[in-house]
Amino acid sequence: MDELEFRRRVYANPDTTDVDVLEAARDDATKLSFLNDMRVMNSQLRQAAEVPVPEDLANKLIWQQSMVEHVKQKQRTKWYVAMAASVAFLFTISFVMTQQGRVISLGNEALAHMHHASDELGFATTTVSLKQVNKRLEEYGATLVSDIGPIEVANYCHLNKIRSLHMILNSDNGPVSVFVVPHSDDATVPSSFGNDEYQGQGYQFKHANMMVVGDKHADISQFKKRLTNSIQFSA
Amino acid sequence: MMEKQKRYEALVRAFHADIYRYAYWLVKDKAIAEDIVQETFLRAWRSLDSLKDEKAAKSWLITILRRENARRFERKQFDLVDIDDVSVADDHASQDNELEHRELRNLMAGLSEEYREPLMLQIMFGFSGEEIAQQLGLNKNTVMTRLFRARNQLKEALDSDGSLRGRNSG
Repeated sequence: MDELEFRRRVYANPDTTDVDVLEAARDDATKLSFLNDMRVMNSQLRQAAEVPVPEDLANKLIWQQSMVEHVKQKQRTKWYVAMAASVAFLFTISFVMTQQGRVISLGNEALAHMHHASDELGFATTTVSLKQVNKRLEEYGATLVSDIGPIEVANYCHLNKIRSLHMILNSDNGPVSVFVVPHSDDATVPSSFGNDEYQGQGYQFKHANMMVVGDKHADISQFKKRLTNSIQFSA
Repeated sequence: MMEKQKRYEALVRAFHADIYRYAYWLVKDKAIAEDIVQETFLRAWRSLDSLKDEKAAKSWLITILRRENARRFERKQFDLVDIDDVSVADDHASQDNELEHRELRNLMAGLSEEYREPLMLQIMFGFSGEEIAQQLGLNKNTVMTRLFRARNQLKEALDSDGSLRGRNSG
């Protein structure tokens, strides 16, 4: 092995275990000296390369990893909470939507209200004047143009959250309730309804609906006829 | 999860020093080296499952480290300093051979990166020519030539300097 090749090989790796390099060094004192010099230099380089490592670097690396993991865990939790909130929100929305989509028949509401009505009647000491009644009917675009008999009560009530006017009138057949209900998309007024105590009929007008409810045995058709003659809805 | 955690901690304890030193010789700045090492080990944690062969851990970490360093270059091109202007840090100058080490460190830091990197892989990690070639994506002959030139330059610098000459030839 010539000198140049020998030096190239030793420079490239002073710790070489290549047999031809080692043999060449053994046979030539100059080469051996060069090899030894290079090994010494290499070992010094190795030591010099070992720059001090920051104290606690290992712990820092483990710590930062556990922090990252912790934050990830928290984000995951947040994600779950957000997901749960979204589901709850959607559930609420869809519930509201289906509820809105459901059209409620107000007949039963009116019948349920009749029980309260008899209580109210007990408290009524004076009848309500036509003027007072018309004042309240104004809201529904309705007017009573002629007297239909004494009006005991004329109060607002809520039928399935729809603000309605409940009037109790004395008729020949006993007390009759009249509900004036504004139009609503999610409620209908049935043309006839009833239960064990009461019977009722509904009428649709252009601006509002009306329900007449009376005793089961009362002839409310006749009353209804009188009522429709007396009440007028503005255009 | 605990298993992964244990593996990670073992990885950190076994390799953090060498990886830090390698980073240091790549960038020649203690703070940046530490940053890169942190990034490296974070990435190592994330893809720890992909490390199947424990024997490959060292070169796997070096690959991640080199990628992180390249990424830093893309991010911070404006931060580059001429290598000649960088003085290499030294914390323990009190020891007897520290003066010698300091000079060697300065000389190694003065090598161009293409020479310094294979040299460090060889002296610090004991990589063979083939392993260095694989790690750096070069062929083995190129690697051997670079190693030869690296030591040749260092030797010439030491000889012309003279301060280590007596010791080296003695």
